[in-house]
Amino acid sequence: MSGFLDNCRWPRCECADFGEKRNFIVSVISGVMFFTGWWFVIDAAALYPDTERFNHAFQTPGVISTVAFFMINSVSNGQIRGEAYTTGCMGQTGARIWLFLGFLLAFGALIAASWILFGFYVVGNVDPDWPGIAVFLQNALIFFSAFVFKFGRTEDLWG
Amino acid sequence: MAHASQKCGWCYSQTNYFSSYSFSSLNDRDYLFHRLIGLAFACALGVTFLVLACALPEYNNWWPMFVLFFYVLSPLPTIVARRLSNGYDSSSSACIELCIFLTTGIVVSSIGLPIVLAHVAVIKWGACALVISGNVVVFLTILGYFKVFGNDDIDYSMW
Repeated sequence: MSGFLDNCRWPRCECADFGEKRNFIVSVISGVMFFTGWWFVIDAAALYPDTERFNHAFQTPGVISTVAFFMINSVSNGQIRGEAYTTGCMGQTGARIWLFLGFLLAFGALIAASWILFGFYVVGNVDPDWPGIAVFLQNALIFFSAFVFKFGRTEDLWG
Repeated sequence: MAHASQKCGWCYSQTNYFSSYSFSSLNDRDYLFHRLIGLAFACALGVTFLVLACALPEYNNWWPMFVLFFYVLSPLPTIVARRLSNGYDSSSSACIELCIFLTTGIVVSSIGLPIVLAHVAVIKWGACALVISGNVVVFLTILGYFKVFGNDDIDYSMW
């Protein structure tokens, strides 16, 4: 019974150029997701500028998520493994702590956005629920954009 | 008969070219010149779409002109990245990927702005559609410019 799917294969895809263009495609996808997230929140803020329907404090997870994006992507995988030519300004341990803080902020912002949507807009049955959905979508998109940008690129192409 | 084209060496060669009109005498400089004219025409067409979205009597609203800000901003990351990567012959680098990310973001923003404006009912959806068509034309033009003129082996002395 175990292993009965072992011989199933995806259909063959002859995209020979995918290796060279991998970083390019990943950067484009990540950029689209990141900025689409921000434009969702800009839309919600333009529709509901008052603070009763879209509390201005709900912008915070988006900002923290953006800071986390830049923290996660400012250290290369080579720095973490200790393979880079220089040790950077904080060394390998400092780079690991920086990355850890970046992930911490990213997860925290995603949890905060989920809390805003479910704890405030869903449970309270608030009528224009688009602000809550927009905040959640923004943070989810920025979170996944950070992960795609970090782990989707390969440093072998950097030469 | 002395006329102005005698003074301008380029115009003199062009008048000689038009007098002996044969396609076999086209050289690289003429191809670049024709492509430059084509790119200028495409850019004018795109901006025409944008102006139509503002100036048609049923729309009569000049908010979409703010998209021009994104048009101007979009080639900047690529120019900066190309200038900074002189001397690296790897196929990609962190700087180039950041530049692709930012350029994608600018393109997404130039699509997001008319959509948000139409959603908030500042402009009509028809104007939004015209602006997005103009965006497509202008960004294809900018891409075409980098494809035609981006290579470093163009000899500028031939102008």
